[in-house]
Amino acid sequence: MNWAVMTSFLSGISIVCFAASYAVALGCEASRLLFRSGVRGMVMVGFAAAGLVAHTLFLLWRAVTVSAVPLSSPFDWYLLVAWLLAAGYLWLALANPRTPVGLFLLPVVLALTGAATLASDRPFLQSPAAQAWARIHGSFNLAFSVCVTLGAVAGLMWLIQAGRLSRKQAPTLGFRMPSLERLAQVTHRMLGIAAWTAVAGFVSGIVLNAVKLPESVPWNDPVVFRMGLVVVWLVVADCIVLATRRRPAGDRIAAWLSVASLVILAGSMAWGLLGASRHGLPAGAAVREGVMCEEATT
Amino acid sequence: MAGTSTTLALVGGTHRTVPLELRERLAFSAEQAADALAQFRDRFPGREAVLLSTCNRVEFYAAGENDQPAPTAGELVAFLAERRGIDPARLGPVLSRQNDNAVVHHLFSVAAGLDSMVLGEPQILGQVKQAWALAQEHGTSGPLTAAMFQSALRTAKRVATETGLGRERTSIPSVAVADFAAGVFERFDDKRVLLLGAGKMAAETLRYLRAAGAREVTVLNRTASRAVELAARLGARPGSFTELVAELAAADLVVSTTGADEPVVSLETYQRLESRRNGRPLVVLDLAVPRDFDSRIGGRPGVWLYSVDDLAAACDANRRSRQREMPAALAIVDEETLRFMADMHHRTTAPVIEQLRAGWSETGAAELERLFRRLPDLAETERNEIRQAFERYAAKLLHPPLASLRNESRSGPPHGLVEALRRLFQLGE
Repeated sequence: MNWAVMTSFLSGISIVCFAASYAVALGCEASRLLFRSGVRGMVMVGFAAAGLVAHTLFLLWRAVTVSAVPLSSPFDWYLLVAWLLAAGYLWLALANPRTPVGLFLLPVVLALTGAATLASDRPFLQSPAAQAWARIHGSFNLAFSVCVTLGAVAGLMWLIQAGRLSRKQAPTLGFRMPSLERLAQVTHRMLGIAAWTAVAGFVSGIVLNAVKLPESVPWNDPVVFRMGLVVVWLVVADCIVLATRRRPAGDRIAAWLSVASLVILAGSMAWGLLGASRHGLPAGAAVREGVMCEEATT
Repeated sequence: MAGTSTTLALVGGTHRTVPLELRERLAFSAEQAADALAQFRDRFPGREAVLLSTCNRVEFYAAGENDQPAPTAGELVAFLAERRGIDPARLGPVLSRQNDNAVVHHLFSVAAGLDSMVLGEPQILGQVKQAWALAQEHGTSGPLTAAMFQSALRTAKRVATETGLGRERTSIPSVAVADFAAGVFERFDDKRVLLLGAGKMAAETLRYLRAAGAREVTVLNRTASRAVELAARLGARPGSFTELVAELAAADLVVSTTGADEPVVSLETYQRLESRRNGRPLVVLDLAVPRDFDSRIGGRPGVWLYSVDDLAAACDANRRSRQREMPAALAIVDEETLRFMADMHHRTTAPVIEQLRAGWSETGAAELERLFRRLPDLAETERNEIRQAFERYAAKLLHPPLASLRNESRSGPPHGLVEALRRLFQLGE
């Protein structure tokens, strides 16, 4: 394949390509509830893998052509979180083919991909001195978002499995959940990591804000408020989980708190997408007023 | 005679048709089965037989060809009655008799577990394999039964892999461990198992728990000597019933099968020890009737309490689920039966095909010999080319009649076509 053909191929990969692959994999996962199939596993993993390859190539092509390295814009940040979760799904689907983890994880991947289409793809502009801190800030935020999602998925699966065991129902074929013990371990671990990476992300954000003066985000900017809210929530949730760990209802409390954490994070992200903020903008740029206003400033 | 003929016969009874008392008398031990097969070989030389005897069925499969057809159903009933010392007049009416494709369909259904008391249970497949192996060992299995039993094993494998039949558990101990206890715990090697009482199901449940990795097992019984004896038999640690509360506080999984009239563990007792458990989940498999655990304990957080009725209901649901797979399983059995019978019918045409091939080959060879004598200067490579052209020509001419024979075999033995070929090509008997 010569370079021209390859560049033409790579430039032709769009978000729709991998989103459609993930959607087909999700459809296959959902069909577990309806019928048995010998080839479904292969089709499901095949589409998820194809989607992940297209997703990877899309991110690489952006990095090469528009210097949009991961985390350099809200658009790339959302797509990178989605990529990590899709890779995690593929690994789990191969390691535990009977567990319908995609039914819980792929909707989040698709939602993040959808959110990326609403987010700005204009790189955050920072002075060279601020860029290192910006990467640290973005990486911690990325880590806690992935942990919150994985914890919430495990928590939701815990609640479903506990419901099945309470109703004294045998598991249905093709829809076998992991044990409560394993799900509780993942929930506790993810919530703990999420809380402390969120704190680190917030602190690094404060440092970044101090370093990149005069491009800094005002302390009364909505992004400071909503991210502060998420961080406080996660720390409080983790403290509650630690305090109730040795109580009979501790695992159930952790499961609910994990699910609630994802809801709060999703609400915060939606607020960030649609609300006004100076987050990530250069000095002198107009304040972001949702997506439409953002486009107007370019 | 138009061609070779094959006959298959089956005489047998199952838990559905033969009363238990008679089934017990009819059942063959491995030694008795071996004797019976040896007797069969002497009495019906040239015929094939396989004897399948389990706690739920005794079935005698026989096969023969041409002038040595399979024994009649009456002969087989008399043979079985004689071997087991039962009056044939009493045995005859309760045994079912089948021939040819009904035999094949039945065997395939049996091997796939479709005729078992517990639908889809896998043990029968092993018993079918053993029965066939015994017949091979005693020289009563030949090409017909070998083909039939090989196809039966393939059918059973297809049913197991292509349908959900047999995947869901239907016994109370297996459901209790695999569907419920394993739903709570990821592993059992670090869990403490407490066995209360010495009921029959305790040992069976413990067998599944051991298979799942359980190592630390304590047995409590009101009679200390009984606990010691049971613990020694199960490879567990005996404990004193007076330590019940402490053992419950330390246990992760309890299997309870005492014969007590009143609950052994009341809600108040459990609430008193609850704080000592440090929030660890507790799975209770209460297999006793009446129940050993107050049912309200199941409402406490972190407690997963299952009674015999709960587990039996889950077993029933699994059985219904297996029933739903029946049409798909039967479709596989039907398909495999048709395929086997077509092969069997086609097999009867083999002598005619051989004669036809041999005749054409002989004629071709004679013609080639004459041609090569007239053309002595032909090089060896040219001779080979001509030989191959002759072979291709003969194969192409033979293809349509052979294809017609194969097609005709799908609907039964192609006696008419075989007879026509014999007359057209003047083949011998």
